Amino acid sequence: MIDFTEEQLERYSRHILLDDVGVDGQEKLLQAKVLIVGAGGLGCPAALYLAAAGVGTIGIIDSDIVEISNLQRQIAHFTKDINVSKVDSAAEKMQAINPDITVKTYKDYLCAENITKIIEGYDFVLDGTDNFPTKFLVNDACVFLGIPFSHGGILRFNGQTMTVIPGQTACYRCSFRTPPPPDAVPSCAQAGVLGAIAGMLGTIQAAEALKYITGVGELLTNGLLTFDARTMAFRKINLKRQVKCPLCGDNPSITRLVDAEQSVCELKTDPVAA
Amino acid sequence: MTTTITADVFQDLKGVGCPMNLVKTKVAFSKMKSGQVLGLILDNGPPINNVPRSVIREGHEILSQEQLDDGTWSVLIRKA
Amino acid sequence: MQITVNGEANELNEAEINLAKLLDIRQVESPEMVAVQLNGEFVEMKNYTSTYLKTGDDVEFLYFMGGGSR
Ligand SMILES: [Zn+2]
Repeated sequence: MIDFTEEQLERYSRHILLDDVGVDGQEKLLQAKVLIVGAGGLGCPAALYLAAAGVGTIGIIDSDIVEISNLQRQIAHFTKDINVSKVDSAAEKMQAINPDITVKTYKDYLCAENITKIIEGYDFVLDGTDNFPTKFLVNDACVFLGIPFSHGGILRFNGQTMTVIPGQTACYRCSFRTPPPPDAVPSCAQAGVLGAIAGMLGTIQAAEALKYITGVGELLTNGLLTFDARTMAFRKINLKRQVKCPLCGDNPSITRLVDAEQSVCELKTDPVAA
Repeated sequence: MTTTITADVFQDLKGVGCPMNLVKTKVAFSKMKSGQVLGLILDNGPPINNVPRSVIREGHEILSQEQLDDGTWSVLIRKA
Repeated sequence: MQITVNGEANELNEAEINLAKLLDIRQVESPEMVAVQLNGEFVEMKNYTSTYLKTGDDVEFLYFMGGGSR
């Protein structure tokens, strides 16, 4: 059992006071390891809240540097951070909020080659990537390794998120199957996004991570939570594991990790405008 | 005839306000076994009004509470 | 014909309608960015034209959403 310091008791008092979290839950948080994929719109608010919550080890991976167009929504990055690596910028803020935790930074693109090595050992993965090849790769790797994760996506005024417990609940491929053709995909850069949406979604993902670690409540599994901020209508669409899922179904056709077409690793040498 | 109950763990929370008095109570309980007794000294006012109520809500049993000469309260609680 | 689309009841005048046509009627601007679920089961895009709807069907359009880091 951890012997909390006076400072920790005060810092985490609002968690300890919660019947369902309590001393045990805070201890679990301090011992937990969460990986955040992408230090952008979703990853930033998630990183700040997970750091504040006292998640003991937080990994954060992103190869980009901060640009002025990021600041409208990527809330851990400040004007002074322009041209600084996103993971360094995020880590600085996380440690400023909570020096109690360990932040591991990875200035890298996730690809089939490196993903297993990076995500192995984490208890939970929070997907905040901007692109579908990586989203599918995160899904596949987490399913192969049995690591629970939160999927999140935002576009314009909309957001969606689901939590996946591999082998038990619907995975991202159960419902979305394969990445959409690259030319059909509107990115945030092309489509735009209301900045606060990123905070709404990223903090939902962070709450799921905290719930998973502490065992509180019911996770957002077998359901896709979607919202439209124009009407503030929230919907939970029921999903289920599909027997025909190429990854977690009865006869899986995906048996190893591969990079989808126009992988992020290729983007490294052929950068697209951010 | 009265039986004197003695506390297995004792915590003096004189001068400790809300909600840190409850936080410390919860930490004390987390290190105790079910059935053991926690003795607390709580300030008059919000502490004595709030802490016993909260521990009851969490299923623990208040065995006694009495005001001492200095105005503080001595409370005995059995852990659920 | 009465069907449910994205949780809302819809009355369709067409006697016969397949998923491809429904996507068209609902003005889904790029069908490649939507995954379709019919009564809880995923439907492959190549089967949109051969999948005809019947009264009581429950259709969900699940939009691909990226966003996030960039
Ligand atoms: Zn699946």
